[in-house]
Amino acid sequence: MLSLKHIRKSFDREEVLRDVSLQVRHGEVVSILGPSGSGKTTLLRCLDFLERADGGELTLDDLHVDLAHAKRRDVLAMRRRTAFVFQNYNLFANKTARENVMEGLVTARGVSPDEARKKAEEALAWVGLLDKAGEYPSRLSGGQQQRIGIARAVVLDPEVIFLDEPTSALDPELVGEVLNVIREVARRGIAMIIVTHEMAFAREVSHHVVFMEGGRVIEEGPPEQIFSQPREERTRTFLKRYLTDSNMYYI
Amino acid sequence: MEALFSWQRFWADVPLLLPYFLVTVKIVFWGIGVGLVLGIVLACLRLRHLAWLEPILHIYVSFMRGTPMLVQLLIIFYGLPLVLAAVGVQEAVRWDKMVFVYAAFALNETAFLSEIFRSAILAVPAGQLEAAYAVGLTRWQAYRRIVLPQAWRIALPGFGADFIALFHGTSLAFLVGVIDIMGRAQALGASTHHALEGYLFVALLFIVCSLGLRVGFNYLDRRLAYGR
Repeated sequence: MLSLKHIRKSFDREEVLRDVSLQVRHGEVVSILGPSGSGKTTLLRCLDFLERADGGELTLDDLHVDLAHAKRRDVLAMRRRTAFVFQNYNLFANKTARENVMEGLVTARGVSPDEARKKAEEALAWVGLLDKAGEYPSRLSGGQQQRIGIARAVVLDPEVIFLDEPTSALDPELVGEVLNVIREVARRGIAMIIVTHEMAFAREVSHHVVFMEGGRVIEEGPPEQIFSQPREERTRTFLKRYLTDSNMYYI
Repeated sequence: MEALFSWQRFWADVPLLLPYFLVTVKIVFWGIGVGLVLGIVLACLRLRHLAWLEPILHIYVSFMRGTPMLVQLLIIFYGLPLVLAAVGVQEAVRWDKMVFVYAAFALNETAFLSEIFRSAILAVPAGQLEAAYAVGLTRWQAYRRIVLPQAWRIALPGFGADFIALFHGTSLAFLVGVIDIMGRAQALGASTHHALEGYLFVALLFIVCSLGLRVGFNYLDRRLAYGR
């Protein structure tokens, strides 16, 4: 359904993505793991044109775009069929929770305000925050903000959602509530690409796991294989270090 | 010998001066109205760093912010009609002279407000624009609905201070012969040899209006707090 081919991106002279290709099928959850600076976040940002890739192709069903030369119309078309969940939530600070979820529907997709309000409240109820519909983001906890961020993405009925380290900015005790909501998204059969450091969660929720390092895909496969029998030495080293390190964070 | 100051003359001056306050209000209205629109446009243009335009805008803003208002007023009041006539708008020399007073204050405000808005737009986190793009908004929609409202909130204290400064600055207009409340107070002083009462009334009126404006801006500041 979603296919990316030969994506390249450099910042100044630093090559951040070196020929990355990836496939996502309908309803499939793909997790991207890898050390800091491996290009995971940049890859996701290139897919939503928040960064402009130097080369590569993106195909979403019938929509085919050249990432480096996409016209404004193609960029908009791609963005209107996908959604993005940010590490820092990025809820619109001048809008209430309800207005945040309505914004894309009303302004980008031309849904009537009444219908958008209904859909927004359904989405907020679905993430368990209907009682906060009238609150501004500054009054909400990080976990609540991120759940609204997910509601804002899901309400658009996207074909795929990109999630960029959705729990990395959260206090440890708030991670669980956000992961629960992401599980629900997966259960709904919405395709996702998740950049994450939550290894146990990635293992549980993903259909496919990708390990990146140095701007390249080092290894990919089903989660059982990547986590239990990684073929590549670098994957093994990363997982070993990460699993011991992440245990230590919580002591 | 007559007393230098008398409350009787003060109260007698009030009805003579007050109507001319309208002239002051008109200058503020045009200065802020035009300055606000052009200032926001200028701020948005400068943030796009257009290669051919940026040096011109930069020089314009530096000139307007770096020279005294009185100098600009004199140059624009006496010079702009001639420039317009030279480029083919001959009838400009017959226009109401107030147009050029409004233009002087508006052009000055444009420069100051553009800087206030430019820094305010830069202070809105980049993630806000990215999130707007991600839900499918166009650049124009993202600025209109997400970035500019937040920038407006950030700019408000600076805008309030600038508004009050402009209000006081209009009193310079009497130096090119405009009979605003300041000009009228001076004329009255010259003809009656009792200037103090008129000036005192002008001062009190400006203080009351400044305080009123400040209260109004503080109220707006609280209204637009977005939960903070």
